[in-house]
Amino acid sequence: MGNPLRRSLSLTRRGFLIAAAGSGVAFGFTRAGLAQGAGPSGMFEPTIWYDIDTDGIITVNIIRAEMGQHVGTGIARIVAEELHADWDMVRIRHVDSDPKWGLMITGGSWSIWQSYAPMSRAGAAGRMALIEAGAALLGADPEDAVAEAGQVTAGGASVSYGEIVAQGDLHRSFTPEELEEMPIKPVDERRLIGQPVAALDIPEKTDGSSIYGIDAVAEGMVFARPKLPPTRMGSVVVSIDDSDAATVPGYIRSIALDDPSDTVPGWVMVIAETFTAAERATDLLRVEWTAGETANTSEQDILDRGAELIADASEGSTVVDDDGLSDAFANAANELTRTYTTASAMHFALEPVNALAFEADGMFEIHTGNQWQSLILPILAVALDRPEESIVMRTYRLGGGFGRRLNGDYAVPAALTAKAIGGPVKMVLTRVDDMRFDSFRSPTVQTVRMAFDGEGQITAMDHAAAAGWPTGVLLPSFLSEGLNGEPFDGFAISGADHWYTVGAHRVRALSNDLANKAFVPGWLRSVGPGWTNWAVESFMDEAAHAQGADPVAFRLGLLDAAGRNSGTAPDSIGGALRQAAVLERTAELGGWGREMAPDHGLGISTTFGQEREMPTWTACLAEVHVDRTTGVVRVVKLTIVSDAGTVVDPDSSTAQVEGAALWGLSLALYEGAHFVSGEIAETNLNTYTPLRMGDVPEMEIAFIDNGHVPCGLGEPGTTVIAPAIGNAIFAATGARLRHLPMRPADVLAALAARD
Amino acid sequence: MTTFRLNGQEVTVRAAPDTPLMWVIRDELGLTGTKFGCGIGLCGACTLHVAGRSTRSCITPVGDVAGGEVTTIEGLDPEGQHPLQLAWIAHQVPQCGYCQSGQIMKAATLLKDYPAPTDADITAVMAGNLCRCMTYLRIRAAIKTAAAAMAERAENG
Amino acid sequence: MLKRILLSTAATAAALALGFLIFAWRSAIAEVSPVAVAEFSPEEIEAGELVARAGYCATCHTVAGHAAYAGGYPMDTGFGIVHSTNITPDPDTGIGSWSLEAFRRSMHEGVARDGSHLFPAFPYDHFTLTSDADIDVLYAYLMTLDPQPEPEFANTVPFPLNIRLLQAGWKLLFFDEGRYQPDPAQSDIWNRGAYLAEGLTHCAACHTPRNILGARIASQAYDGALVEDWVAPALTRANMAPADWTEDALYTYLRDGANATHGVALGTMGPVIHEGLMALPDTDIHALAIYFADIAGTSGVTANSAAVAAALDVSAIGLVEQQNADARLYNAACSSCHSNTSGVLLTARPELALNSTLWMDDPTNFLRVVLHGVSLQAGDPGLIMPGFAGRLSDDDIVRLSNYLRETRTDRPPWADLAARIEELHGDRATGQ
Repeated sequence: MGNPLRRSLSLTRRGFLIAAAGSGVAFGFTRAGLAQGAGPSGMFEPTIWYDIDTDGIITVNIIRAEMGQHVGTGIARIVAEELHADWDMVRIRHVDSDPKWGLMITGGSWSIWQSYAPMSRAGAAGRMALIEAGAALLGADPEDAVAEAGQVTAGGASVSYGEIVAQGDLHRSFTPEELEEMPIKPVDERRLIGQPVAALDIPEKTDGSSIYGIDAVAEGMVFARPKLPPTRMGSVVVSIDDSDAATVPGYIRSIALDDPSDTVPGWVMVIAETFTAAERATDLLRVEWTAGETANTSEQDILDRGAELIADASEGSTVVDDDGLSDAFANAANELTRTYTTASAMHFALEPVNALAFEADGMFEIHTGNQWQSLILPILAVALDRPEESIVMRTYRLGGGFGRRLNGDYAVPAALTAKAIGGPVKMVLTRVDDMRFDSFRSPTVQTVRMAFDGEGQITAMDHAAAAGWPTGVLLPSFLSEGLNGEPFDGFAISGADHWYTVGAHRVRALSNDLANKAFVPGWLRSVGPGWTNWAVESFMDEAAHAQGADPVAFRLGLLDAAGRNSGTAPDSIGGALRQAAVLERTAELGGWGREMAPDHGLGISTTFGQEREMPTWTACLAEVHVDRTTGVVRVVKLTIVSDAGTVVDPDSSTAQVEGAALWGLSLALYEGAHFVSGEIAETNLNTYTPLRMGDVPEMEIAFIDNGHVPCGLGEPGTTVIAPAIGNAIFAATGARLRHLPMRPADVLAALAARD
Repeated sequence: MTTFRLNGQEVTVRAAPDTPLMWVIRDELGLTGTKFGCGIGLCGACTLHVAGRSTRSCITPVGDVAGGEVTTIEGLDPEGQHPLQLAWIAHQVPQCGYCQSGQIMKAATLLKDYPAPTDADITAVMAGNLCRCMTYLRIRAAIKTAAAAMAERAENG
Repeated sequence: MLKRILLSTAATAAALALGFLIFAWRSAIAEVSPVAVAEFSPEEIEAGELVARAGYCATCHTVAGHAAYAGGYPMDTGFGIVHSTNITPDPDTGIGSWSLEAFRRSMHEGVARDGSHLFPAFPYDHFTLTSDADIDVLYAYLMTLDPQPEPEFANTVPFPLNIRLLQAGWKLLFFDEGRYQPDPAQSDIWNRGAYLAEGLTHCAACHTPRNILGARIASQAYDGALVEDWVAPALTRANMAPADWTEDALYTYLRDGANATHGVALGTMGPVIHEGLMALPDTDIHALAIYFADIAGTSGVTANSAAVAAALDVSAIGLVEQQNADARLYNAACSSCHSNTSGVLLTARPELALNSTLWMDDPTNFLRVVLHGVSLQAGDPGLIMPGFAGRLSDDDIVRLSNYLRETRTDRPPWADLAARIEELHGDRATGQ
C-alpha cells in the first residue's frame, strides 16, 4: 500500500541552481516552473539547499525536527559526501516554518530515505561547479582538477572552497535531466558516509545550552497552565470559580478558551506571573463542565468495540484482498484463529508539551518543538481566525518526539490565550496534564486466521485489525483508499501487509470509532507496525508450533520472494529474500536452537520495519527467563539484525536501533495504561513505569550493509521486540501471551491456562 | 527572599521559600539546562547539586537550600569539559538530550561515591534518571570512560 | 516539646487542696538593675555560651523571625498554646532585673523571680542537677546578650489551668531538687556524660515516656516517646535499630548529626545537635556517647559488622529488571541516593536497611521524612532530601513504606499507614 503522506514528500523533477546570495553562494534546487531571472533566493526550491560563505563554512538547511535522531548531521553528511567537503567546515541550520520550505514533517523514519538521492545530487552538482570555478582560478582545465576535503587542486596548486566563493564567479545551473544523470558515488568510494561521525548537535546537549521549546522566552511573557476538562472532546464549561485560585500570589486570571478549531474544547487557561503560581492556582480553580459523551468509556469498552467491528465482515477497508480466501477457509483441513490485543500506550516525551505564543509585527509567532508544522498551521489559522501566512512556527529542540509532536495541538491553546490577553503567553503542561492530553497509541484488537490444507500447507491468511486511527482523526485527507473503496489509515495497519507467502491473503483495517471519539489517537514510535507485528509475529510462532515446525524454518519457508514479495528496485529490491537473510543472520548470531537452562527460552520475530515501500528488514532473537512463581519475565539478551540498505552513520544507526529496541522492550513489559472513565488513569511515573537503567538486557546489534538505498532506523527496532519476547516466554514455559504489555499476572494466568 | 550560591555566585531570589528550586533557577535566574520532566521527583531531569551532591530540584523547596551551594549543569565545568561531558560526547550519548543534564549531574555524584563504579553501582545510582530515548547503554559506557579518565587525571596529579 | 507536661495542669489543679498553698508559696526576689557587662569576664561569658548550647536553650526560647533567646516559641499543650519566655536581659519582658540568686532559683527550683511557679515545660527538673558554677556562667552569658523585647503572643491556656501556683502540687509529686551526685563506681567521663545528659542536656525530657500527669515514668527511663509528632526513640535495649548504638555510633551521631548505621538527626532532635551540641568540645560528646552506650548496653561493642553486612545484602533488592510496581517506584524515587552496592557503607548514601525510622514500631518518623524531606540545615549538613508530599500520592507512599519495611527489615508491616499519612500532611515542622 502506498502512503499518501510519504509520497507527498517525494520531490518532483527539479533543476539545480548555484548563485550568489548574501555574503556567499547558495546551492539549491530550482522551484518548479520557475523562469530564470528572479532574485537568487527566490529561485531556489528551498526545501533543499545549502550555502558556502567566503570562509568556506558550509551551512545546510534542515527542515526536519531534531529530536534525538541527529537528523541534521545525517542529511549534512550526505551533502558533504558528494560535495567533497571538509566535514569540520559543515554546519546545520534548523529553519522556521516559512511556507517556502514546503511540507515540514519529521516522522515515519522517512528523513534519510527521502533525502538521500536529492541531497547526494545537490552535493555532486555543487562539487562540479566548484571544480569548474576553482580550475578557472588556478588556470587549469576542469578535467584536470579534483576536489578533496574542501579544496580544488590542479597541477600542484590548490584553492579552498571559501576562496572560490570569495573570488570566483560562481554561478551555474543544471537542468533536471543533467541532475538526474549525475551519478551517486558507489559504496567503495565513499569518504564520509558509513564512517563514524560526531553529531553536530551533541556538545550542546551535554552542557545545558541546547534550547528546547520549554526554554523559549519572550519579553513580558506570562505563564499559563490549562485546567483540563473531564473528556478530551465534547466537554463544555458551565462555570468557573477562581475565589481560591485568586489567593495564590502571582495569579492573574482564568479564561475559558473559545476555540473555533475545536482542538481544545472545554479548556480553561489559568494565567499567572510564574509557572509555579499558575500550577498552584490551577489546582485551586473550580470549574464545572458538562462532560462529553465518552465520560464513562473504559479501556475494555474500546477493546470490546474493536472486537465487535472485527466480527462484522462487512466492516473496514481491505488493504490486501487476494482471490480465493473464502474458498481456502471453506476447504481448509485445519484452521488456526487467534486474537491479540494491546493496551493504551503513552508517549511520555520527557519534555511536557508546551508553547510560547505572541503576536509581533503582524505575525503570530509560535515558539515550540514540533515534528509536523504543516499539519498544525492550517488549524492555527482557523483557531486564530487569521491567514496561515501570518502565522510562523519557530521550532526548537524537541525533548522527545516519538510521534507526540507530530500532533501540534498544544500550540492552539497557547495561541488562543495569547490572543485573548493580547500579550506573550508561555503555556507549560505539567506531567499529569501532558499525560491526560496525550494523543496516545490506541488500544488495539487484532484477529488473525490461517487456513491449512490436508498436507499442512498454508492456503490462506486473514488479518483484521481495529484501532483508533490517528490519520483518520487528524488528517482524513491523507487516508489511503482500500481495495473495497473504503479509506484506511496506513499508520494503523502497515505491518499486516507482510512479505510472507501465505496463499490467499486478506488484510482488513477497521477504525475503532469509540476510540476516535474518546481521545485523539496518536502516532507512537513505529506506529502501526509497533502493534500489528505483535499479532503477525506471535501468530507465526503459534502457527509454526501448531504445525510442529521450527519457528525460524517455518518463517524462512514463507519468505520465498514469490510474486508481489519479490520486491521493487530501488527501495525494496530483493524483497522477502532480504528479510529471510536478516532472520537467518539473527538466528545464527543469537544461537537459535542452543540448549537452554530451565525456564529460559528463545523467541524469534522478524518484520520489514515500517512500510512495504521502504522496508528496513529487521529480526530479533530474545532470550528470556520466566519465574514461574511470580510470573516475572527477565530478558537476558536481545540480538537484533537490520538491513536498512546503506548505513549512513554506523554509530548513530546503532544508537537508533538501541533506542528503538528498548522502546519495544519497555512497551512489551513495563508500559501500558488504562483508559478509565473517559481518561487515562496512569498520569505520571508513580504508576506509568517506562524502562530504566536496570531493565536493560545484554544487547547485540548488527547490520547487513549491502549498499542499497538507505532506509529509516528510528523505529523498526521497536517492531520486533514484543513478539520475540512473547515467543520466548512460550518457549520457556509453554505459556502464550496475547496481550501487551505482558505483566507478571498475565504470565501466571497463561501458565495456569496451558492445555 | 532566599539567598544561596548558584554556580559560585551569590544570588537572592524573590520566589517564596516553598517554590521548587527548579523553577526558581529556570525562570527567575534564567538557567535552563535544568529540565522539568515529571514534577514529582521520579525522572531525574531536574537533577542538580546542592552542597556537591545531586538532588531533584523539582521537589526541593528553594527555602531548603538557603545558605547552600547549588551547582547546575552550566556550572559543572566552566568550559563544559568535565570528564563526564567529554565522555558523553565521545560515546555520542544524547539523542533528544532533554534528560542528559540530569544524567550527567547524577553521574557526577555517582563518581564521587564510587570512583570506579561497577555495573551494579551504575544501575543503582542511575535508576532514578529516566531516558525516554533509552540511551542507557551509552550512559553506562560513558560513565565508565569518565571514571577511567578521572582516575588517570588523579594519578597524573 | 514537653507539651504533655502541661496536661498535668488540669489534673494537678483538681488534686490540690488549699493547704498546699503554704507549701507552694515562694517570695519574690528583689529586682536588680541590669548588670553591667563589665562585671563578667570574657572567659565566663564564653563558658556560659557552652552551657547554653549544652542545654540548647535557644531552641525553645526563640521563635522564627525574632531575636534569639527573646522567647515566643509556641508550645501546644493540648489545653492551649504556651509561649516560651524572653531570657535576654530586657528589663521589662526579659530577665534584665533578675539577680543571680533569682536566676539560680529558677534553674534549680522552677520558680520565677517574682515567686511564681514555672510550668514544667521549662525542664527545671533536669536543670536542678546543674552545678552552681555552670549556672553562674550561663547567667553571665545571658545577661550580656543584647536586650530584646519579647515578641507579643498571648498564651491560650484557659483559667484555671493557667494558675501557676497550682504547679507547686506537681512539684510535690514529681520533683526532687538537688545537684548531680557523681556515681563513684563510674569513670569521670561517664559521670560527665551523666551530668550533662540528666541535667543541662535534659535528654530524658523527650526520650522517657510520661505518665498522665506529664511526669517521667522512672521505671521506663529512656524507653522512647512521641514528642511533637516525632518519635524520640528508645535509648535502651528497646531501641529497634538493627545496628547497635555503639559508643562510636553515638559519638558520630551526636557530633555530626548523622551516623551511617542509623540515620540522621531530624525533627526535634535536629536543633539539639545543630544548634546545641555542635558547640561542645569533643570530650563532652565522648562523655555523652559513653554514658548512652552504657544505657543502651553496648559498652565495649566496637563493631556493627553483622548488621551492616545484613543491610548491604538487601540494599540492592529491586534494582534490576523488576516488573514489581512497588520495586519500580522504589527505583524511581529512592535507590539513586539510598542504595549501597559496593560492599561498603557510605555515610553520604543513607542506607535504608539500617535506618532507625524504618525499624521503629511507629512509622511516624519515616513518613515525615518521606513526606517533607530534610533541608540542608537539618540532618546531615551537606545532605538534602526533597519531600514527596503532594507529589507522590498517599497510596504511593503506603506502597513504598510497605515495600521497604518488607524488603529491608524483619519487622511486621505497619498498620494504618494511610490514616497516619493523612494526619502528618500538614506537619512540616522546624528541624526538617
